[in-house]
Amino acid sequence: MPNQKLVSSGGIYKGKTSMWLYIFHRVTGVALFGYLLLHIISTALILLGPEVYEGAEAIYKNFYFRVAEIGLFGAVLAHAINGLRIITVDLWKKGSDYQKQLNLISLVIFIGVFVPSSYRMVVSYFDLCLEKSSPGTTVTDCIIRPIPDWK
Amino acid sequence: MKTQRTDWGRRQPPLAGSSFELYAWFFMRVSGLLLVLLAVGHMFIMHVFNDTLNLDYEFVAARWDTPYWRAFDWLLLALSLLHGTNGLRVVLHDNISDTTVRKLSLSALYVTSLGFFVLGTYVIVAFVSKV
Repeated sequence: MPNQKLVSSGGIYKGKTSMWLYIFHRVTGVALFGYLLLHIISTALILLGPEVYEGAEAIYKNFYFRVAEIGLFGAVLAHAINGLRIITVDLWKKGSDYQKQLNLISLVIFIGVFVPSSYRMVVSYFDLCLEKSSPGTTVTDCIIRPIPDWK
Repeated sequence: MKTQRTDWGRRQPPLAGSSFELYAWFFMRVSGLLLVLLAVGHMFIMHVFNDTLNLDYEFVAARWDTPYWRAFDWLLLALSLLHGTNGLRVVLHDNISDTTVRKLSLSALYVTSLGFFVLGTYVIVAFVSKV
């Protein structure tokens, strides 16, 4: 059955790591679409004036959301780099012969960008939290406090 | 010889007629490349070069004072919604075998996306600073 052979053994994406990356791309894609809708709503509140907009933004200004933001940054970055990898496999003649190398290069680029960026996001959070909060605020306060005491 | 299909429920390549899927495939590559610049750029600008702790009404008002940032944000809005909608269309198509449920899900997706596109466009165009 030549047709069935073609269906079951062909396909650029066959292979352990690349198959997981295919699933990873879908999961991050769906998650990012969900976040996009949330983000459009929270930004749309700006039409209702400074009080409403900044009241909504205050929900995001704690360490729990900082961790979530780092996750969001990682998801966008990983989806983007994996997308570039997919384009390379699709359009480069020898792309499918060098899948392992391309996977490894993608991972190295991701770590190289993600680690310093997320480090900066953590350091900047504590710098600004301690600077803006009332005197006597500790690092622990900045970690556990759900709503900032400044505007 | 009779061919046995083992992949029921998956998208089948169109045999003839519409080349919509080909254009959709191509669109995902082109919009993806642009979104690497727009979306990753947006993340760097808002989260690394600035900090969201500093994000307030005045920050957005100053940003949208120039038409270029409004254009940047609108392009990001339009491309990410289209890219995401097409991605979700493929995911729903691949994973829902019941025709009625699939059609309902896809309709809900298109209505939602269109609604958010209209809302987002309205916000970017209609915003006038109150400070």
